[in-house]
Amino acid sequence: MSLRFHWMMPKGGEVGMKTAQETSRVATTQAHSPAALPDMEGWLQFARGAEEAGIESVLLSFSRYEPDTIFVACALGQVTTKLGFIVAYRLGLMQPATFVQQVNTLSGLIGGRVSLNVVAGSSAVEQRGYGDYLDHDERYARAEEFLTVCHEFWAGNGAVSFAGKYCQIDKGKIFTPFLAADRSEPEIYVSGHSEQAQHLALTQASCYLRLIDTPEKLAPIVQGFRENGVEVCLRLCVICRPTMDEALAAVQALLPPEEIEKQERKILSSSDSQTLKDALRAADDVGWMNRNLYAGLVPHYGSSAITLVGTPADLARAFMEYKEIGVTQFIIAGWPKLDEMMIFGREVLPLVRELEGTFHAKTQRRKEEF
Amino acid sequence: MSLKFHWMLPKGGEVALDGQQSPREAARYRIESMQSTSPAVRPDLHGWTHFARHAEEAGIDSVLISFSRYEPDPFLVACALGQAVQKLKFIIAYRSGLMQPTTFVQQMNTVSALVRGRVSFNIVAGSSSEEQRGYGDYLSHDERYARAEEFLAVCNAFWKANGEVNFDGKYYRVEQAKLATPFVAPDKQAPEIFVSGHSEQSEHLASSQGTCWLRVAESPAKLEPIVARTRARGTGVCLRCCLICRPTREEAIAVAQSLLPEDAAESTTTMKDDSQMYREGSELKRDAFWPEPWLWTGLVPHYGPVWTTMIGTPGELASAFLEYKRIGVTEFIISGWPEVDTVDVFGREILPRINQA
Repeated sequence: MSLRFHWMMPKGGEVGMKTAQETSRVATTQAHSPAALPDMEGWLQFARGAEEAGIESVLLSFSRYEPDTIFVACALGQVTTKLGFIVAYRLGLMQPATFVQQVNTLSGLIGGRVSLNVVAGSSAVEQRGYGDYLDHDERYARAEEFLTVCHEFWAGNGAVSFAGKYCQIDKGKIFTPFLAADRSEPEIYVSGHSEQAQHLALTQASCYLRLIDTPEKLAPIVQGFRENGVEVCLRLCVICRPTMDEALAAVQALLPPEEIEKQERKILSSSDSQTLKDALRAADDVGWMNRNLYAGLVPHYGSSAITLVGTPADLARAFMEYKEIGVTQFIIAGWPKLDEMMIFGREVLPLVRELEGTFHAKTQRRKEEF
Repeated sequence: MSLKFHWMLPKGGEVALDGQQSPREAARYRIESMQSTSPAVRPDLHGWTHFARHAEEAGIDSVLISFSRYEPDPFLVACALGQAVQKLKFIIAYRSGLMQPTTFVQQMNTVSALVRGRVSFNIVAGSSSEEQRGYGDYLSHDERYARAEEFLAVCNAFWKANGEVNFDGKYYRVEQAKLATPFVAPDKQAPEIFVSGHSEQSEHLASSQGTCWLRVAESPAKLEPIVARTRARGTGVCLRCCLICRPTREEAIAVAQSLLPEDAAESTTTMKDDSQMYREGSELKRDAFWPEPWLWTGLVPHYGPVWTTMIGTPGELASAFLEYKRIGVTEFIISGWPEVDTVDVFGREILPRINQA
């Protein structure tokens, strides 16, 4: 199987922004941020670029600072034909039957191009604004029940009844099926670094989504998932330039004024998410995690800013190292997202496909020898 | 103020893109749309877009998109159809008890921005307890209304709020809630809220939290005091009805007769055990089937109150709508068999007569 590459969808207004500093996540949490409004023009430009670059799907992030992801996918799906949508959604916001009805309807409206990134919720304050008062561990226990109910609906074995601690349902029926050419339910990505998140991914997901780390650190984790039939997808950023010197200069140019760092650090350190805490620690402790993997942008651009830095050949080789330990998918971002994605599609992806060809031939030969 | 006319969005697969469909065929399609084998379970953008263009041409303001477990989610249908047509508006039927009010507002606001404000909603407390339990909602009829009251109070707080929303109720509790995406429309800061039902609770809810009370058409004489007291509270009144319009009254009545089921005992209303509106409908006496010469309830015992039908010639029907206007009714949501043909006739024959009056 070839590696699958997805990209982060820009926020509303971001496609028109010129500098990385402008697009940092802090900006979206401020009042009057353009991220509060849908940006069909910018998104369509980005979506066409993604299709051209060979990107499979875009991840739409969910928060109270942005438009609802399910509807962004619906609207953008009307004007694209190939691109997939990984819709991030938090649990605790609606009944599982309602969620299934919305996701199934969406699938029917956009030719099945939808998968889900289920998030337990990273901020207790934000969750309370949605009427959700559970703590971190309980949110995962609920997610387990929630996804169990969803899977029951998608299995299509008649009425769904479930009597759990968090979800109760009696003879639930949703007549609109999940509509896709090749599947009867969406792929489900579960993200998070905590033990609970990993457990949830193992039991309920098709793919475990986590931040990138060094291949050595990730190898045993990835193996654990793959042995249980669950794929692993890594989130990362990339900075790709013709030479390493140019790439390093691009990194330097991203370091923002001190004020933004303070705000981002506050968000990271006050969160009850294990993922965010881990990311901040990586940034503070190590900076460069290996020759091409840099955590130094995390305090400025958030937990998902661990970045692969290098030339097209460096990056292609790095992606292959992850492939060798069993990683199958990536969700990537860059600064700006559109420019970096076009570089990736033009310079990196063809090299990856070439190396994969050799890799597959080699594994095939090895299989035949045994 | 002139009357506003809305229409029911046909079910998925109901619009016949090619060829003729008799009123009876269209009606049977709708009756059978609650079966899992019906194409109505799937979104039908081709058929809906076809209908929407006819509705725009006819001068229809909005389409009501119904909610049930038998059909696609109406929020998403509005979002997709709103990309295909540019003028028509959408009334999204939704039930409380399916999602948190904060989530509901985030979805509503997002859709408003994606269809440039052409969206309002019809809150339904839920008419079948069996169906509600299938969504994880175990409340009784009266409690569902109490919860809907809180639900809409939270929603309205978001639409009025300049800062964060706090609410501590029996059914909902939110704390320091904020949503960055506003309701986006050229002419308003919040969607219109239609509250439907015939019970006292629904009348109360319509006035306390809604902008318009939505109920089934009855004789103007019966509705007059009800409409008057609702309007006095500053709430609009919208009537739901079906329409059969033909050049002569005899032709119209013949169409109506063709819609009666072959099996006199056929009924789809038993599923809505928990709705006062449906209970009233099933108790209708045979001699009360013609409350007015132009108003027929003969299908109600079989298929429910929303099959109450206005019948007549263009002139008779225009006068009937004007009679409702006289007693204070402000809007209508109409349905017909087939929908496309009926909306065409309405726009061509009836609406001009109303506007000239």
